[in-house]
Amino acid sequence: MIENDFPASLQWRPDPVALDASVAKAKEKLLQSIKRSVYVYRVDCGGCNGCEIEIFATITAAFDAERFGIKVVPSPRHADVLLYTGAMTRAMREPALRAYQAAPDPKIVISYGACGCTGGIFHDNYCVWGGTDPILPVDVYIPGCPPSPPATIYGFACALGLLDQKLHESRHVAPAGEQAPVAFPAIPYKVRTAFEREARRMSGYYYGKQIVDEFMMTLAKDKTDALAAADRLVERETDTRKKAVFMDLKALLLSKVVQE
Amino acid sequence: MLKLFKEIRKAGDATTGYPFEPLAMPAGFRGKPEHNEKLCIACGACAIACPANAITMDLNDDQSYVAWDISYGRCIFCGRCQEVCPLFAIELTTDFELAVLNKADLSESCAYEVARCAVCGKPYAAAKEVDYARRVLKSVGGPAAADVGKLDECLACRRREDARAFQAQARTEGGAR
Repeated sequence: MIENDFPASLQWRPDPVALDASVAKAKEKLLQSIKRSVYVYRVDCGGCNGCEIEIFATITAAFDAERFGIKVVPSPRHADVLLYTGAMTRAMREPALRAYQAAPDPKIVISYGACGCTGGIFHDNYCVWGGTDPILPVDVYIPGCPPSPPATIYGFACALGLLDQKLHESRHVAPAGEQAPVAFPAIPYKVRTAFEREARRMSGYYYGKQIVDEFMMTLAKDKTDALAAADRLVERETDTRKKAVFMDLKALLLSKVVQE
Repeated sequence: MLKLFKEIRKAGDATTGYPFEPLAMPAGFRGKPEHNEKLCIACGACAIACPANAITMDLNDDQSYVAWDISYGRCIFCGRCQEVCPLFAIELTTDFELAVLNKADLSESCAYEVARCAVCGKPYAAAKEVDYARRVLKSVGGPAAADVGKLDECLACRRREDARAFQAQARTEGGAR
């Protein structure tokens, strides 16, 4: 839902579609075991098209969703499953509702992608009302940005009762007095910080961290001769870009060495 | 015709066996971020870095615990949390099987005890983080370790103390001219 400081009483709230009792019962049965092919109609409520690309990747030969009878159809009137992608935007609310009403009952509604599930990165946008669920009764959520084709197949398998969901809500409370260990206790903290900065300067954030972690892991493992361990690491590396960063880190290590 | 069949047989089967057999994802695939509750010090670096606000940190109602909370439904799997974490407490795994039937199952949380300021008594950080900072500062030594005693105070109290010390010093030395 919209998360802002504007008083809730003055905000317009979308009224969710309520399910008829008989339809809900039929839907329950459909979710448990669907004994026929499912036709999917996808509704883009304001996404970036990344999810659509992954849906089409799912129905290609490599992942072949059609072996389960899953078929993308061009009209909601043929559909058993409605696949809502993208955050629910103000402008697309009416078309999304129209597609929902056009599909014959009982129908399964799937929220696809991070935006479809909760609004994703656009959750606090001015024209976004969160995911699909503020407006429509959603049966399955497939998170991902975008969900990869196997994740899509898994989501459909969940929806059709082939597989069980793996993720469960967890509420953990850390015990009082728990201590977290300092990472790389053998390496002085300031040297470690210098390594991390240098690696990130050389190869960016995500990969910089991976490289520096590998480097420090190697140093920490060798208790006797850290410089020789660094040499071996440089020698072993086949990727020249990574090798350059390792060599740079080794030079930094040499500059930190003090003679006793 | 037979030649065509031979050709097809030679080409093999391009379709993956998933979901009937497990699928190995390539290294570097960014899947579900796995939180290690034991390593986490609840410093909140991941909550600040998270561009989609999937990770949030909030005090509970009676301000005794700070809860680290992730919503996999909002996560965009960018890996920023892994990258800013000082302790390997959150790492992206290759797990992609995240679909759920119930939205509540998309969230995961972990509550940590808060530390209260020795001067004003307000909660200012997780107790685990303060303990970690104390050990790190001691290991660093030098002028940084001299301030270890001040770790029990919140930022506002420390600033106030610094300002008072500066004021006292300015008065004794005749102030800035």
